[in-house]
Amino acid sequence: MDSSTGAGVEMLRVSKSFGGVHAVREVDFAIRPGEVHALLGENGAGKSTLMKVLSGEVGGYTGEIHVDGEAVRLAGPVDAQRAGIAMIHQELDLVPALSVAENVFLGREPRTRLGTVDRRRMARETRALLQRTGVDLDPTRPVEQLRTGEQQLVTIARALGLEARFLLMDEPTSALSDREVRRLFAVIGELRAIGTGIVYISHRMDEIGRIADRATVLRNGSVVAEFEARSMTAAQASEAMVGRPVEQMFRTAADTVAAEDGELLRVENLAVRPRRPRSGRREPAGISLTVRRGEIVGLAGLLGSGRTELLETLFGVGPPGERGGEVLLEGRPLRLRGPRQALAAGIAYLPEDRRIAGLALEHSVLANTVLSVVGRIARAGVVRRSAERSLTARIVEQLGIKLSSQDAPVGSLSGGNQQKVVLGRNLLTEPKLLLLDEPTRGVDVGAKAEIYRLLGRVAATGVGVLLASSEPAELVGVCDRVVVLRDGRSVRELRTDEVGEAELLAASMGSVEVTA
Amino acid sequence: MTDVAAAPDTTSVEEPGPGARLIASLFRFQSLFGLVVVFVAAVAYSPVRNGELVFLNSQNLFNVVRSISEIGILAVGMTLVILIGGIDLSVGSVLGLASVGAASLLMVNDLGVAAAVALVLLIGLGFGLLQGFAVAKFGIQAFIVTLAGMQIARGLARIWSGGQGISITYGDGPANAPVAFSLLGERTFNGLVPIPALIFLVVAALAVVLLRVSAFSRHVYAIGGNEKAARLSGVPVTRVKIAVFGICGLLAALAGIVHAGQLNFGAPNDGAMYELDAIAAVVIGGTSLMGGRGSVVGTVAGALLVGVLRNILALNNIDSNIQLLIIGLVIVLAAGLQRLRPASAGT
Repeated sequence: MDSSTGAGVEMLRVSKSFGGVHAVREVDFAIRPGEVHALLGENGAGKSTLMKVLSGEVGGYTGEIHVDGEAVRLAGPVDAQRAGIAMIHQELDLVPALSVAENVFLGREPRTRLGTVDRRRMARETRALLQRTGVDLDPTRPVEQLRTGEQQLVTIARALGLEARFLLMDEPTSALSDREVRRLFAVIGELRAIGTGIVYISHRMDEIGRIADRATVLRNGSVVAEFEARSMTAAQASEAMVGRPVEQMFRTAADTVAAEDGELLRVENLAVRPRRPRSGRREPAGISLTVRRGEIVGLAGLLGSGRTELLETLFGVGPPGERGGEVLLEGRPLRLRGPRQALAAGIAYLPEDRRIAGLALEHSVLANTVLSVVGRIARAGVVRRSAERSLTARIVEQLGIKLSSQDAPVGSLSGGNQQKVVLGRNLLTEPKLLLLDEPTRGVDVGAKAEIYRLLGRVAATGVGVLLASSEPAELVGVCDRVVVLRDGRSVRELRTDEVGEAELLAASMGSVEVTA
Repeated sequence: MTDVAAAPDTTSVEEPGPGARLIASLFRFQSLFGLVVVFVAAVAYSPVRNGELVFLNSQNLFNVVRSISEIGILAVGMTLVILIGGIDLSVGSVLGLASVGAASLLMVNDLGVAAAVALVLLIGLGFGLLQGFAVAKFGIQAFIVTLAGMQIARGLARIWSGGQGISITYGDGPANAPVAFSLLGERTFNGLVPIPALIFLVVAALAVVLLRVSAFSRHVYAIGGNEKAARLSGVPVTRVKIAVFGICGLLAALAGIVHAGQLNFGAPNDGAMYELDAIAAVVIGGTSLMGGRGSVVGTVAGALLVGVLRNILALNNIDSNIQLLIIGLVIVLAAGLQRLRPASAGT
């Protein structure tokens, strides 16, 4: 067939199924040079699969793909490279022990005349690439020492180095701070100006309007809507993604019961001087805040402001070292010695990256859900099957987790449902204080709204919630108060009924004059 | 992964069909099916003597179990260690140490059977606990710790025995071991089941039950599946790890006692390479060296599979060097099959 229309990548009636499950069904999709094409859809809608067809990572698709009018068969990554297609993966595909430069040039290391690796050139070019992404990193630093956001920028720098004509970006901003996102958008603008065709996958609706020209929405593997990105509203897009109108996204005033008087957590001037400081971490250096029962308190701040480190310290999993200041839980000093003591004290923690620190992906939903309480529901060391089944069933129902069976591997669930499993495990410990680190990262719109409503319900039962997030909309929409961190210090406290996203952002970046 | 391509979408979750479930369980219990296949092949190729299949002779079958009992006991402990993502290279040396210890305590120190056995088991337990402590508390890789443990246990065995083996003779006087100890090696239960085989089967049964029902086993699997998540979920990771290495050391000592009983000899240099045979049984049994996935049932089937294979090859007078080749291929085949495991049976 030769119905193609010239320049760009054109996918015609492309389908791909895995073992009978249609991940992508009869999709027509095009990337034009100099255009940013947003690809939207809930988790499991087929976005990543569609992109992996283009990057040659999943073979065995049906349908046709044309590049600049010529039919091509993308059977492997090499074919995609030859066609000028590069992909930035959502999961960071870096080699942790190698340096930034080695990762950027992995597989195409420049050689000296003697045939050895030209390290100097590698470092120089890496620095230049990193500069374009707006981050100042030492090219010789091992990638494992970098924060998630910095690693993400390294993958972007690597993709830039490939000088691809078509760049596929799968949620490139999920771990970036707002400043970094703006820098990335500038880079995308430059690329667009030189004629690069870009596919942009994101869950952040606000980004689409700022950056994309066109938007295509996938649902259950099929294209269900196409929009002019600039005139598309968030409501239109969400509705197309979910297939029904999205109800109230955040909790309503009705959910917000008046926080009880009781002060649950008091942090006074908390500072940690680790015995062996690890680079890339920002330990607390003077943080004060309080959380009352039934209150949701947000933690705002840029990447590297110390949000994660504060939550880790409160859960007792920060690095050992000298600790200054005071932490009181229900008025009693809290000895922060480890997760078991923290859980026993009534603190539960939802880590930032559920795949690294939250779930055993191959294990069943059941095993993951009851993990924290499995010792408690055992009699004489023997797990009571019926008890764990009914506890899991309760969580599945309460959180609306969609699954085929409790014995299904948790890795087979969508991102939102995986996150609910981690949250469910937290709730089973019946915590007084819930520490949440980016609870909606990589979670689709529908599940996000459900998680927000759930947090509202949990708080209404008197649980105090401390929620770290890099999404201002989330902090303003969900929290009662927001504490702004900068460089490991709490610099500001804002009431969300008084301020909006803009003020919050400004406070995070320090353009509002305050002192610690 | 938030966007696993093969993941069913959130609105319509399909129940896996009976076919998929059958395939999943085939992979899950691959060593059981492998055992059946090897068993059937063994019956088919069994030499015939006096109109009877030699392989199926009950004496022969129990000898198969007896022949793998020591490796089997080691492999049960090894399964636990591998399930938490570790490895224990010291078990062969600990077996040697225990066999010397049992012989020496009985013959030189004139201890009773119960006291000698208990003391040797304690030594194995302690040795394992120390290794577990080094792994869990100091975060040294299990491979390194137990590589060191392997040397240390071997050294201790040679020092204890003075470099020579210690013969065990039975009798009432001093410098004789109580006759009861000979039970372990020579005697059979009801004239048919060899005691070492019985010990192995009891150990395996206990381990199967432990891994099925206990909260401890959930912690073991969780640590192997995702140690960080387990720690953050309040699993006592350090304690569980130390306990697992302790159990492995204890079982290695038990295997050493059985070894001494079977040979009537405490041999300081015995047990070399046993750790690798034990690991082979675990791998053939379908337990992932990455941890978090596998079972003792698989390991027992894996050990039996190797035993049956060796037996039928020997019955057919196949050269022992060829036997090594075949066993090697079986290990590769088993590991290769695990790679083909469908995603639904674990990513």
